[in-house]
Amino acid sequence: MSLEVGPSLYEVAATPGRPPERDRPALPLLVAEGLCVSFPAGRGQRLTAVEDVSLSVSAGETVGIVGESGSGKSTVARCLAGLLRPDSGTVSLRGELLGARRTREQHRAVQLVFQDPYSSLNPRLSVRSVLGELLVFHGLAKGEAVEPRCRELMALVGLPADALDGYPSSFSGGQRQRIAIARALAVQPQVVVADEPISSLDVSVQAAILALFADLRDRLGIGMVLISHNLAVVRNICDRAAVMYLGRVVEVGEREEIFTDPRHPYTRALLAAAPRLRPGPDGVAVRLRGEPPSPTARPTGCEFHPRCPRAEPLCTVERPELLPAPPGSSRLAACHFRDEKP
Amino acid sequence: MSTAVLRVSDLTVSVGRGERRFVAVRDVGFEVPAGGSLGVVGESGSGKSLTLRALMALLPRGVRAERGVVELAGEPLPFTGPAARRARRGRLAMVFQDPLSGLDPVYTVGDQLAEVPRRVLGASAGASRRRAVELLRMVGMPDPERRAHAFPHQLSGGMRQRVLIAMALASEPKVLLCDEPTTALDVTVQAQVLELLDDLRRRLGVAVVFVSHDLAVVRQVADELAVMYTGRVVETGPANEVLSNPAHPYTLGLLEAVVDLDGTAHAPRAIPGALPDLAHVPSGCPFHPRCRFASEDCALSDPGFRYLGDGGAERGTACKYPERVMAG
Repeated sequence: MSLEVGPSLYEVAATPGRPPERDRPALPLLVAEGLCVSFPAGRGQRLTAVEDVSLSVSAGETVGIVGESGSGKSTVARCLAGLLRPDSGTVSLRGELLGARRTREQHRAVQLVFQDPYSSLNPRLSVRSVLGELLVFHGLAKGEAVEPRCRELMALVGLPADALDGYPSSFSGGQRQRIAIARALAVQPQVVVADEPISSLDVSVQAAILALFADLRDRLGIGMVLISHNLAVVRNICDRAAVMYLGRVVEVGEREEIFTDPRHPYTRALLAAAPRLRPGPDGVAVRLRGEPPSPTARPTGCEFHPRCPRAEPLCTVERPELLPAPPGSSRLAACHFRDEKP
Repeated sequence: MSTAVLRVSDLTVSVGRGERRFVAVRDVGFEVPAGGSLGVVGESGSGKSLTLRALMALLPRGVRAERGVVELAGEPLPFTGPAARRARRGRLAMVFQDPLSGLDPVYTVGDQLAEVPRRVLGASAGASRRRAVELLRMVGMPDPERRAHAFPHQLSGGMRQRVLIAMALASEPKVLLCDEPTTALDVTVQAQVLELLDDLRRRLGVAVVFVSHDLAVVRQVADELAVMYTGRVVETGPANEVLSNPAHPYTLGLLEAVVDLDGTAHAPRAIPGALPDLAHVPSGCPFHPRCRFASEDCALSDPGFRYLGDGGAERGTACKYPERVMAG
C-alpha cells in the first residue's frame, strides 16, 4: 500500500494534464458489503438504521448517496469512515479488510468532511495548529517541513497562505468548509466521505465548494462518497448514485440512468418533488403522500409501499430485492415493477 | 388607491448601539396585493429575516426599526409597544423555519391551536376546540380529531409545520409571513407544504410573503419577487420574468450559482468574492466589487432604485446598467 510518506499526492497534484475524459479504473478502492446497523431504541427494542447496504468507490470516482432524513445515509458514511462499527457487514480498502479497530494508517486512508463547518472546527485552534498537529501526529512532516506543507494545503483548497494564522471565527462558511477539506486532505486520504458538505453554505458559494471537490478528485485521484439530500448536487458531480429509503438502497446505478430513466417509484417521486428553476420536463408531478415512516415501525413487505403510487397487494407482503433493471444491467432497483416504464 | 393589502416603504433597521451600530436593512419597500404572493430571496445577512421580523414587530433586543412605513390595508402600523402587537393581532401572522421551537412541548397541539380562537377571537371553549380540529383539517392533517390530542414530539417535521401554519391561520390573518418554512423539511414533504401554502392562498385569499434563500423553492410559491443583498432590495418584478431575464447582476449571479437539477448545460458558477460584512458595505453600489459588468462609476455613487420603462409589468432594479446584465 502506498501509504508511506514518499511521493505525496500533492506532487501528483502539481503535474498538470490529467486527460479530460476521465477513464474510470476498474479496481474498486473502498468496498462496503452488507452493512447492517441498528441502535438501541429503549424498552429492549432496536431500531434498524441501515440494512444490507453494499457500495463501492474507485479511485477518481464520485459516488453519491441520496435520501431523506432517516434514510440511513449518514450512518453509512460513519461506517465507511470507521466512526461506527456495523452490526454485520464489512468495509475493505484495496481488498484489505478493515477490522473493528482500524490502524492509524487505515484511519488516514478514509477521511470525513462534515456538514457544518461551524461546529466541526475547534474554535480555539488556529488553522496552522489544526493542520500542523495532524501532519506531525501522522508523521507526514516535522520541524521546518510543516510550514511549507500547510501552505501547500491552503493553496490546494484555494485559500491564501495567511489564512493559516486565522481562527475559525474569522472565516465565512465557505472558507471554513475549505479549511475542513484541507484538514481531511492533510493526511493524504485515498477516499474522502463528504456528508452534506454544502447544505449549510450560502447559494453563491456552494458552486465553488462543489467545483473544489470535483477538482481535487480529478487532480489527486481520490475516491469520493458524497452524501446529500439534494439531487441536483449529486447530478452535478457524481459518476454513480445510490438512492436510500429507510435504511436500504432502493436504486443504484450510473448517474444518467438514475436521473433520466429512474426505475424505482421513490426515485421518480424524489425527482418530481425537487424544486426546479424551470418547470419540469413533463409537468406530470407525482406527489407522495405522507412522510417517511419511523424506522422503529417498518412497514411489512416493501418499505415504500404505504406511500407508493404503484403499490399492489404483493408489495405489502413480499419485499423486493435489489436486482438488475433492465435484466443484465449494472443498475439495480428494489421494486417488483422495476421493468415497467412509468 | 391600489389594492395592496401590505405596503412597505423606506423600511430601515439598525443593529447594535453606539459606535458599533450598523444598518442591516436599508430603505426596503414592496407591495403585496390581497391574495398575492411575494418571494423575498437573499443569502445570509441580506436582511430578509430582519425585514420580516420588523413587519411583525418582533425585532430582537438591540435591533431597531429606524424609519419606514408599514401599511396594512391602508392603515400604518406602529413598530413598538403594546399598540404594535394589537394592530397586528388577527391580521398579520408568521410561520417560522423551525417548527419545533414554535410549539410548546407540554401542551397538545389541539390546546395550542384552540388558544387563538378562545383568547383572540373570544370564542367559547367548545367552539375553540372544534375550530382547532377544523384548522388541522384545513392544513391537510390526516386524522385531525386524533391528532389534536397529540403532543408536538409525537408529530413528524412536516406535520409540525402544518400545525404552525394552522396556528398562524387561526386568527384569520390577511397576510401570512413565512420565514424559510420548508428549509428544515425533506424534499418530498417540502413539496407538500409548498402546495398547501399555494392552496390556502387561493382558497382563503390570504396574501403570502415567503422568505427563502432557495430560488427554486421561491419560484414555486411567488408571483412577485424581491431580491435582497446587504440589506437592500436590488431587484423586483414578476417572478418568472426576473428569473428568466434578471436585471441585476446579483440576481444573475445567484441564478448562475444555483446547482440546478436540470442545469446540465453549464456548470454552476460561484459569485466571485464574499458577502461583505454589513458594518463595512462597499461604497457606491454594494455589489460592485463582485460584479463583472461594473464600471468605475459604480464604486462612486449609489445607483438608487429605478423602474424599467415600457409600462405594464413593474420591474425595478438597483443597477445603473441593467441593459448590460439583461444582454448577458
